[in-house]
Parts: sequence; C-alpha cells; structure tokens
Amino acid sequence: MAKRIMIIDDSATLREVVKATLLKAGYEVLEAVDGKDALKKIAGQKINLIVCDVNMPNMDGITFLKEIKQQTAHKFVPIIMLTTESQETKKQEGKAAGAKAWVVKPFKPETMLAAVEKLILP
Amino acid sequence: MELESVRNTFLIEANELLVEMEKALLELEGSDDKAELINVMFRGAHTIKGSAGLIGLDRVVHFTHKVESVLERLRQNELKISEGLIGVMLNCKDHIAELVQLSCASEEELPAAIITAGDLLHDALAPYLAITPPPAPKSANATTGAPALDCGIGPYNADASVGSSSWHISLRFGRDVLRDGMDPLSFINYLKRYGEIEYLTTLYACLPDIEDMNPESCYLGFEITFRSDFTKQEIEDVFEFLRESCVIRIIPPHSAAPTYMSLIDELTEDSWRLGEILVKSGAITQRELDEALRKQQGEPEREKPCIGDILVKEGVVHREVVEAAVDKQAKLRKPASEEGKTIRVDAVKLDHLINLVGELVISSGGIRQHANMVKDSALSKSSMLMSRLVNDIREIAMKMRMVPIAATFNRFQRLVHDSSREMGKNIELVIEGGETELDRTMIEKLTDPLTHIVRNSVDHGIEPPQERLAAGKPAKGTITLDAYHDSGSIIIAISDDGRGLNAEKIWQKAIKVGMVDPDKRPPDKDLYKLIFEPGFSTAEAVTNLSGRGVGMDVVRRNIEVMRGFVQIDTVQGQSTTMLIHLPLTLSIIDGFMVGIRGAFYIIPLDMVVKCFILTEERRMMIESRGYFDFRGKVIPYIDLAGVFNTNGGARHSDNIVVVQYAGQSVAFAVDRLFGDVQVVIKTLGKVYKEVEGIAGATILGDGTVAMILDVPGIIKTVKNSTINV
Repeated sequence: MAKRIMIIDDSATLREVVKATLLKAGYEVLEAVDGKDALKKIAGQKINLIVCDVNMPNMDGITFLKEIKQQTAHKFVPIIMLTTESQETKKQEGKAAGAKAWVVKPFKPETMLAAVEKLILP
Repeated sequence: MELESVRNTFLIEANELLVEMEKALLELEGSDDKAELINVMFRGAHTIKGSAGLIGLDRVVHFTHKVESVLERLRQNELKISEGLIGVMLNCKDHIAELVQLSCASEEELPAAIITAGDLLHDALAPYLAITPPPAPKSANATTGAPALDCGIGPYNADASVGSSSWHISLRFGRDVLRDGMDPLSFINYLKRYGEIEYLTTLYACLPDIEDMNPESCYLGFEITFRSDFTKQEIEDVFEFLRESCVIRIIPPHSAAPTYMSLIDELTEDSWRLGEILVKSGAITQRELDEALRKQQGEPEREKPCIGDILVKEGVVHREVVEAAVDKQAKLRKPASEEGKTIRVDAVKLDHLINLVGELVISSGGIRQHANMVKDSALSKSSMLMSRLVNDIREIAMKMRMVPIAATFNRFQRLVHDSSREMGKNIELVIEGGETELDRTMIEKLTDPLTHIVRNSVDHGIEPPQERLAAGKPAKGTITLDAYHDSGSIIIAISDDGRGLNAEKIWQKAIKVGMVDPDKRPPDKDLYKLIFEPGFSTAEAVTNLSGRGVGMDVVRRNIEVMRGFVQIDTVQGQSTTMLIHLPLTLSIIDGFMVGIRGAFYIIPLDMVVKCFILTEERRMMIESRGYFDFRGKVIPYIDLAGVFNTNGGARHSDNIVVVQYAGQSVAFAVDRLFGDVQVVIKTLGKVYKEVEGIAGATILGDGTVAMILDVPGIIKTVKNSTINV
C-alpha cells in the first residue's frame, strides 16, 4: 500500500509542487491549508509522514506540532518542518517541541524528496 | 609525490619476487631441495604482503595473506605438493601480479571482475588451508561484549577501518528519536541508496531491564560496515536530521587515505587553515571540523591541543592525511623560490659519476707519485694542487649520494600506528638521529630489514597494555629508531621497551627444530643469534604481521650484503635493542697504507688510533708478555707478517699501528708506514671472497695492487682464538 504523506502549507503553489513530486515518487498525498485544517483531516487517518510549514494563519506549524505530539495515534509520525532562514527563534521553539527535520525554503523538489525518504519507514 | 615513488619501488620489488616465485613453483616438482624452493616462495609472498600493507594496498594484503598461509603449511610439511596445488598457486601468483599492477597504477577501486576472480582463487585455496573456525566479526566482538555497557562511542579504534576498503559508520541514537518522529530503520534503509551495507551490528547493551524500559525511548546503536563510492559529506548528509540527537562517527576506508592525500596535494588555493584544507579535500566534513573546534575551545588556554590531533583522536580522519595537510600548509607558506634549489638527477648518472671519480683518484695518485720521482718541483706543486681538488670532488660526489635517513624512518610511523592498533597495543615510535646521512644505495637495502625488525618489536616485543601495567611499566610501549656514527661506521639502533628476548624459549625451540645439540647450551648471547636462522620463530601464533620465522634470516642476509652486521642487546622483561652496524660508504675510503715484507696493505684510516716505532727492546717485552700495553690498557698484539704468512721471516717488523673497531683495540706490527691514501674499493673475485683478513683490494697510482685489511674480521678471529700472539 502506498505510503500516505500530508502536506500542510497555506501556499497552494508550494503544495502543488510538493504534491507533484511526491505523487511521482509513488506516495499518496493529503493536503491541508493550516494547522487547524490538518488536525481535522488527520483524525482517524493513518499517516506515514507530515510536511508542515511554520508560518500559517489560524494555527501555525509550531502549535500544530505540539498538538499532534499529544495524540497517541500520531505522536511518532515523522514531521518535516518548512522554514526560512530568518526564523531562528521559531526554529528553536520547534526543536524544543520535537521537530528535528527542517528543510529551508526555498528548496528544490528533489531536496524535499530526499528528506522524505530519509525519514519514512520502508 | 612521495607515495608515487614508493609505489614504483614496490612495483619493481613485487615483480622481481613474483618472477622468483614462479620460477620456484615451476622447479618444484622435479626438485630435490623442495624446502628451499618453498622458502623462496614463502618469503616472496611474505615480503609482498608486508610491503603492500605498508603503503596501504589492502586488496593485495588480503589476497596474499591466504596464499602465504598455504605456503606456510607446505613449509611445515602439513601439506603435500601436488600438481593441483601447483596449478592453483601459479594462478594465485598471476593474480597477485595483476592486483599489484592495478593497485599501483590507479587509486580507484579495483574492477569487480578482479575481485571476483580473487574470491574464486581463495575458494580454490580453501581445501589446502587448515580448518579453523571462522573469526567472529571484529565489530561485534568489540561492541556487543560485556564491557559495552558504555553507550557512547569508544575511543577511536582503528580496527574498524584498517585493512578494509569499506567505510565504518558508528551510530548511537538519542533516547528521544522515536518521539521526534524518527525511526532508525528509515535511515538505515535510506543509506542503502548510497552503497552496500556489508555488515551491521545492532548494539542493544544499553537496553535496560523490561521494568525500567520506556517503550517510547530508543536505546539502540549500530556499527555499520559500508561500501560506497560517495564522499564523506554525502554519507554524512544521510543522517542530517539525526545530527543533534545522535552521536555519529564516519570513518573513511583506509584505502581512501592516499586519495585524500593526493587531493590535498593537488589543491591550488593558498592561505588556508589546516581544517579548511581537510574539509576541502573531503577528508572531514564541516560538522566534524566545527565539533573539533568546539572541543579545542573547551580546553584550557595553555595546553590547547592541535586541531589535527583532535581530529585524529576522534577517529574522523587518518593521521597520515592530517600530516599530508600539514605538509601542504607548510608548502603554501614557503615562498615559491625554494623550488629551484634542488634538481632531480637520475641515480644511475650519479653512480657513474662516482665510479669515474674513483678512477680519477687513482690516476691523480699516479701523477703525484710520478712527479715526486722525477723531482720536478713545478710538476710536484701542480700535481699536489690537483690531488687536493680531486679530493674535494670526491667528497662532494660522495655527499651527493648521501641522503638523510629520516625519510626512511618516518615511513615506519604508519606501520607502527596501524599495526599496533591492529594488535590492540599502544605504541609510540620515537625517531632520533634522522639527520644522519647514509649512502642512497644503502638506504634502499635497509628498508626491508628495518621493516622486519620494527614489526617484530610491535608484534612480539611490546606487550599488550594489561601485561605492561602488570609488569610495572607504562601502558604505552615505545619503539625507538636511532642512527648515529660510531668509529667509522654507521649504527642504526632499533630498540623497544618490551618483554625482551627469552633465552630459554629460544633454546627450547632450537632443540625442537634440531638446530643445536641439546647437551651443549651456549651462553645466552650466542643463543640470541639463533633468531637469525631461517625458519626460526618462537611466536606462538602467526599473525598478519609476523611470527612465521621468515624475516630475521632475510635481515641478516641483507645487512651482510652491505658489509655490515647485526648485534642484539636484550634484557629479559625490559628491552630489546638491535644494532645494525654499517660501513660509512660502499666505494671510496680514506686509507692508511702500510708495507709488510714488500707488499702493500691498507687500513681504513678512521680505525687507526696511533703509530709507534717498534724498537728491539719493546718487541722483546711484548713477545715475553704476549700483549701490548697501550695507554695503560692491555690489548692484543698481532704481527701481520705472521698472519699473512709472508716470506722472509728472518726480518722483524719495525712499526706498530694501533687500530680500534667497535670499542676493541688491537696492535698490528708492520714493516713500513706510508701514510694516508685515498683508495677505491675493488671487491675481490668470487674465488677470494672467503680469504680471511682481507676485505678488498685497490689499485695504487702506479698500478700496484694493495690489499685492504678486514680489521673487524681480524679482531673477530683474535677474539675467537685463544692464541695470544
């Protein structure tokens, strides 16, 4: 069964690029526009990996991260955080909350794919 | 690059040995003296393996080791020679030749076809090998055993990479990795894209008892042997997300060291710091450098270690790579003008020059003699001037061929470094007297014997750390290489502070092998000399390094070819010192000419201490006492006319020359003293090789032949005989 990856970002373009890359690599992709949306869509679902932006309206990535770490079903899901160079304080906060995999925007699609494949279980 | 020339030397040496091996193999079937032929093959394989190891050709070492083991069984008569075996051996010989050729030609990984061919040959050799249980993988032993409760990565253990062309990756996961959404399995899985995992050991020693275990925590570590063509940075990037929560150490394959070294050498940029050079060459990654720099910062100001030392200690880079980078740094600092100060000259041309200078010395001596005879003062004067100039030329020519021994000594740092770690020993190599200069031709011939002796010290001399501590010695053993001049000869001293030679063991072994008469035990001093006999070894186990009893006989032979000898000085439980005595030069010497009953003899000038007139009463006194009183010391007195059975016994000698060699003085009685001359040594023909007391001959300016006295030989004869002349 194909592995399922959720991409959370408020930018449709970014979602589109990442989605196309992941689909091509044989993954199933779910999309969410912000943390709140994601929490809603994730409920009751089996997810193998999450790609999550930090700056988003409604619920930002760090809050989402903290939320999901509370959920027994999803606390061990690998999470890749997307960030820009300037967000050092956010990054520290995220790291403290348990996000160790960071990809800096802008990135090349293959960088994202490599990061995913390092983290996803076979 | 220097490594290049070493490789060329090795290539030539290996090819010579392989030709010999093949010849021996082909003669083997019909021969009566099979033992010697097997010895020839064995020594060939042993030397090739040893030299290959020294310059890091691991593939050659790996393959040749098995061949050597089969030959060893033949040597011990555990195997019978069969047509099949000879066939396999011939194929092996061809394969070694191919391996040597390929490894020397390029530093790239060998083509897969060759490796497969080697494995097939190993399979073919297997029936001829003793059945031994397969060795447990080293990494498993090292880390899953009881003491592995320490969950960190232990001190750098070169075993992990020595002798392999594989990377070694040590991973210790942080407790929280699973909670962070990272599973070790995913990284191991991803690693497979970068190469082949040859061996993986899971370390679970840190796993607590079930009641203390937190199922959400990760307690695992991995030791991975990994074959890959990717760079260190690329491999490290696989674990980029683990960097903060895990301990990662990536040790490059040992075979990669020369590659890094040549990369470093080829870098064109200038004004770099050591760390930058290493990062640029790919030997270390930026992360490793940063970590080492942090460690350096943490040390107290006064005793800050060098960054290179930290990196080597951490095991992220091989020492020789750091040394190459330091060299590079030094080169960058040096102004470019230095380059024009030396030129390379073909050694053959130099040898030719020295031969011609020799002839020049002889003919200028002739002119001088002639000028004195015709009593033409102008001619005398100019011939004197010419002699002086010729003398200067001679000195310069000889110096041209002299090279400091430091380069040769330094090659052993690597050998000691690698092999001591392989043996689990802690050994430091101290080099002294590196500036001492030796004739180039001698240095070449010295490498082999030195390798054998140093290896023996590492392997048998220095004890394992526990044993050393138990004996009240520091855990770290020391091997010292030293070179110095001593009364006209050069001495190379190789000493270790190990367990010393065990006279009893040597005696027992000698009886076992049948070398000695069990009822006549010679003094210990003579027993030690037995280790120079072929096939003699008291080591209990044969290791990769030594213990097969080959070597010491080769050592002795090589030294004797150079008109030198080896002396052993050992204190059981404390130290062993091997002293290699070598003549200063091989071709031209300053001599002191004496006449004995109309014939001319030359004594090497540096051995002459003093001359006396032998008056009638003095002779009476000496003859009644049987010795000569020299500065209050009793020294042997030898009438050389008697030694050489010269006719005209009615005459008595008129002069005494006191000579000294290796701390021993002797008084020679001679007829006439002619003073110093420069002589070119001509070796005697085969027929006269065994003549006692004569080391060679020379031709004087007027064409007369003069014999060169073999003072050490005469002293030895005197010491051995009980006759007090």
